[in-house]
Amino acid sequence: MSTPLAFAPITEINLRLRNGDLSAIELINLYTDRIERFGEISKAFISLDTKSALSKAEIIDESFKDDLPLNGIPYACKDLFDVKGLPTTAGSQVLQDNVAQQDAAAIKCMNQAGAICIGKNNLHEFAYGATGENTLYGTVPNPYDQSRLAGGSSSGSAAAVGFGLCAAALGTDTGGSVRAPAALCGLVGFKPTFGRISTQGVIPYSWTLDHVGTLTRSAADAGILFEALVSQARRIEPGSLNYLTIGIPESFFFEGCDREILDSLEALMNFLRLAGANLKPISMPSMEYTRTVSLTVQMPEALSYHNRFLEQRGHLYSQDFRAGLALGQCLLAEQYIRAKRFIETYRNTINSIFAEVDVILTPATPIIAPKIGAVEVTVDGSSEPAGNAITRYTSFFNMTGHPAITLPCGLHSEGLPIGAQLVGKHFGDEQLIDIAQQIESDYDFELRPPDLE
Amino acid sequence: MKKLDKQTLTGIRDQFGSYAWDDSEISELVDPKLGIITGFQELLDQLEVLRKIDLEATPPAGDIFTK
Repeated sequence: MSTPLAFAPITEINLRLRNGDLSAIELINLYTDRIERFGEISKAFISLDTKSALSKAEIIDESFKDDLPLNGIPYACKDLFDVKGLPTTAGSQVLQDNVAQQDAAAIKCMNQAGAICIGKNNLHEFAYGATGENTLYGTVPNPYDQSRLAGGSSSGSAAAVGFGLCAAALGTDTGGSVRAPAALCGLVGFKPTFGRISTQGVIPYSWTLDHVGTLTRSAADAGILFEALVSQARRIEPGSLNYLTIGIPESFFFEGCDREILDSLEALMNFLRLAGANLKPISMPSMEYTRTVSLTVQMPEALSYHNRFLEQRGHLYSQDFRAGLALGQCLLAEQYIRAKRFIETYRNTINSIFAEVDVILTPATPIIAPKIGAVEVTVDGSSEPAGNAITRYTSFFNMTGHPAITLPCGLHSEGLPIGAQLVGKHFGDEQLIDIAQQIESDYDFELRPPDLE
Repeated sequence: MKKLDKQTLTGIRDQFGSYAWDDSEISELVDPKLGIITGFQELLDQLEVLRKIDLEATPPAGDIFTK
């Protein structure tokens, strides 16, 4: 059975648009009809730009340009990205009247590639949190089980793609906020090398850790978006798995993890061995204090940005974000600098590991999507806050700045997607997507779209 | 290292040119009751462990550049 168009990857939509089997207007109408049906349930969007999307589609259909990689492709973006003329709310009451005067750099790139922004996505307020809970715009459910979380903070971006409401979405990833929700919703989540995609025009959370990333239906689609978003990207093609050396962390990344997730990773590793890859155990740095280091950088940086609003609008922030900002106020400058020096040591250690391996493989998350409202989750008899568990395997690579991609590799017996994470060398973004694309093409696993009817 | 007390944080707020956090928010950092934010004392204890590690001349992480 072929995939319904709403769940088709960009590679397939592109073919149909170029063949003339499909028009850009038909595509916008398809997604806007679905937004009418599933927008409320999914809580994926904060604002829509249907009228403008339709006029752009009309212009594209009048003279279709084959050479634009995303010509006529409807996408959405997390409501942290400025899109000229639309509000950028960051999912917060604080910015209800904040209308963007310019497009963010990433939005300009998408426009230049011919893509059409159809709306802006819900998120954890100001990207502060991995559960995607938002008291103002609602908590975003998982397309595979609506009693569960989509994950965050790019929750609406994951739901928009996961519910088949657009072809791809942009998000931001400060601790896993693109990769984790993508993994929980059966999508491909990619964050590039730190700084490779511009964050200009995106509301910051933590300058040291913020990355712009993409949520797509396939690794091939992630490659198309990457080429559009990075001016000097080389062409992405499926890469050979033969002779590839894949690092498998000996500690932390396979610990405290759901048994079925580990089984899926084991199956993927067996496939990679058979494909000719060499799987090499690697020693990672101690992860004991990495969350402390990350928080010590995040909270003062977040406070420093939000100081501009606190005096006049401090009462409009959610209680939990205010508490996080207050914590940021009480850390010492030397503690912040020391944390950044630890980050440098983490980067150096991972760079030395990359002298011996091409990529590192880990599970994307230690858990499947938690139930909506779950404060804590328990794995292997140990409990931890749901948000910490969601980003446990992803946040380290925001500190090191290495590119990382999550892709579906299994289906849990509870009907929820399981994801794997591949991490590449600094500026090895293209090679990383090449490898993910080859796995996607050769590995005998295909995730069916969610049953929403 | 002594346990954090409310007076220290109130002093930061009132004497360091800080945003005027509510007393209840400061109390929550020192002695969490609402579960809004937990573990500040734990964070400080861990930072104290990190303070004792000699990082030699390692600089703070900056931008990542191609070779």
